[in-house]
Amino acid sequence: MQQTILEIKNLSKSYGETIALANFSLSLKKGEVLGLLGPNGAGKTTLISILSGTLRDFTGSASFKGQDLFSDRRLKNLIGIVPQEMAFYEDLGALENLMFWGGLYDIPKKELKRRALELLAVVELSARAKEPIKKFSGGMKRRLNIAIGLVHQPELLLLDEPTVGIDVQAKVNILDIIRNIGQQGTSVVFTTHQLSEVEQICSRIAIMDKGVVLAEGTLAELIRIVGEKEIVEVSGEFSADAFSAIIRQSDGNGMEILSVTDNQAHLAFADSERIPAMMQHLFKHHLPISDLKIKSPNLEAVFLKMTGRSLRD
Amino acid sequence: MKKIWHIGYLDLKLMVKDKAFFFWVLVFPLVFILIFGNLFRGSKTDTKASLIVLNQDKGKWGAYFSEKLKSPGIELAVTKSEPKDYFRMLVIPADFSLKIEKRAAQTLLLKKDEDANMQAGAVAETRIAQAIVKLISELIIYGNHRDIKAFFDSRSPYRDLVRVRTRLPRDTIAKIPSGFDHVIPGILIQFVMMMVLLYGGISVMEDRKRRVLARILYSSASFAELFAGKFLGRVLMGLLQSAILITGGKLFFHLNLGNIFISFLNILVFTLAMACLSIFIGSVLKKEELIVGVSVLLANMFSALGGCWWPAEIVPPAFRTLGMISPAYWAMDVFHKIIFFGKGFAAIWPNLLLLLAFTAVFMALALRFFKINE
Ligand SMILES: Nc1ncnc2c1ncn2[C@@H]1O[C@H](COP(=O)(O)OP(=O)(O)OP(=O)(O)O)[C@@H](O)[C@H]1O
Ligand SMILES: [Mg+2]
Repeated sequence: MQQTILEIKNLSKSYGETIALANFSLSLKKGEVLGLLGPNGAGKTTLISILSGTLRDFTGSASFKGQDLFSDRRLKNLIGIVPQEMAFYEDLGALENLMFWGGLYDIPKKELKRRALELLAVVELSARAKEPIKKFSGGMKRRLNIAIGLVHQPELLLLDEPTVGIDVQAKVNILDIIRNIGQQGTSVVFTTHQLSEVEQICSRIAIMDKGVVLAEGTLAELIRIVGEKEIVEVSGEFSADAFSAIIRQSDGNGMEILSVTDNQAHLAFADSERIPAMMQHLFKHHLPISDLKIKSPNLEAVFLKMTGRSLRD
Repeated sequence: MKKIWHIGYLDLKLMVKDKAFFFWVLVFPLVFILIFGNLFRGSKTDTKASLIVLNQDKGKWGAYFSEKLKSPGIELAVTKSEPKDYFRMLVIPADFSLKIEKRAAQTLLLKKDEDANMQAGAVAETRIAQAIVKLISELIIYGNHRDIKAFFDSRSPYRDLVRVRTRLPRDTIAKIPSGFDHVIPGILIQFVMMMVLLYGGISVMEDRKRRVLARILYSSASFAELFAGKFLGRVLMGLLQSAILITGGKLFFHLNLGNIFISFLNILVFTLAMACLSIFIGSVLKKEELIVGVSVLLANMFSALGGCWWPAEIVPPAFRTLGMISPAYWAMDVFHKIIFFGKGFAAIWPNLLLLLAFTAVFMALALRFFKINE
């Protein structure tokens, strides 16, 4: 049995009327790479900010290796955090940045420089180590952002949407880096609203929305929640209300509504033979359908089932 | 402490790396120094009431009279030939002694340059009048005996019978600070304000926006260390600006700061106040243009009110009193006291305390408003 490295219990936080976290609980074992999947406003950044110690006025607890995370500031030396924003000095070079950020920890200068150079190689920035970061591409900045979180060799790395706003190639690159970090024994939590990312690199996945964890487990465990069903994605120029009204008039046997929003709905069928009858029902009621897709059960279906909405920016 | 230094030093480094740094910190102040320095042109050597005596006298009385003109407040030079350049020159004619011996009336000519300082002129003229009074009174006594040998004998009882003492009302400003020794400290104070408020304010705002402040707290650095680091960074900025202008002043303008130790203390406490003010400004304002506007406005207003450009000693009393709201006033007052009025620590410590009080107020504001999140 692997040792639990992070244990979050009943974290709650609200901004005035807005509830950002509601009794959020989660635990992470040593060496796990956990993907925390949640749509915009789910509370991902709020969670990371609380764990980083920069957000106050919350309730609940978190322990790191059995110690209260918020009581001993020295524990921060063992945790690396990569914020959603590119938080570094754009006028300095990559190496200078790593030397500054690493300098906040008690690392001998020589050793720090060695690590910085090593990390630059890992994130493939060695060739541009001295150039001001202003001149970097978005993907390069994202990579440096991660390197800064790793410069003190943390045992736990928390990444907040490390792949947001960059192209596919750069994304693959960053996912590789995160996977490698995990394989070297660092525990990782990273938040995202990209399904494919968690499918690719996570040993465990947690789905969250509105400040709570809705489901968690390995990919296989999660897919089992939806069961052996066929998923139908219906797109078109319809409103959520219109779609729901038409569906209500059908017998609906053996069908589950995963999500309904304007212009898109997802339905799950235990028996695929029932799909044509349902489609006929929709056409008969003149629902303006532009696209129909039939999919096998996947993480997206789980997500739709749990949150009732799709994961788009 | 190591973390505080680490955080503070980076801010200094970033300021020095800025493209406009060289212009802000050296070129702009130099332009100001040259403009204001030339506005007070000529005053530098004239503040000590220079007086040239062109002694053409063929007898002994001319030299004797010249001796009588000597005074600690006057820079006296006696020559035989007319110099090209002077602020004021007293001409003792060739027949000066002859006319004295003959008891004949005579005229002395005082020539003045149009640029000459009026105040210094008054000092010189008073001295000339005093010397004449002394000479005449001695002549009256001498006239009864007509023993010229005995008179010029240094032990003569008739010599220096009359003494003239000048006493000005208390607090009369006998000397107006001017020249580069006034202008350079003034511009130094102005640019310490400008640089610390501008760079210091903008970087506090940008670091907060870019989430750099929050990220520093991801490490084991405490909030207190973060604040202290930012504070130290701004103090270092001010000290660097000062060091540059003092070095430039010493190299090119023969800057004399009077008392280096007091000057340093003065600059330091002034910089402390500005460092706090810049954190406050950077914490409340969210836009770069706003911070630039407020910093430039404050720095220039405080400079004008505080006597950085023209000495507070020459402005109307009401304006001078108003100037006391400017921290720059108190720092300039220290400089003037040690550079021009020969005062020491005893005269300036209240100013330093006052500047520390400004620091305390700005520090309280900075601490109240400094935050790591927008
Ligand atoms: N400073 C704040 N003031 C008020 N409300 C806030 C603040 N920060 C976050 N919120 C609210 O709290 C909720 C959770 O926000 P949070 O940023 O944690 O979500 P997120 O999952 O990180 O979203 P995203 O994917 O867009 O980054 C949202 O409803 C958001 O509007
Ligand atoms: Mg977020």
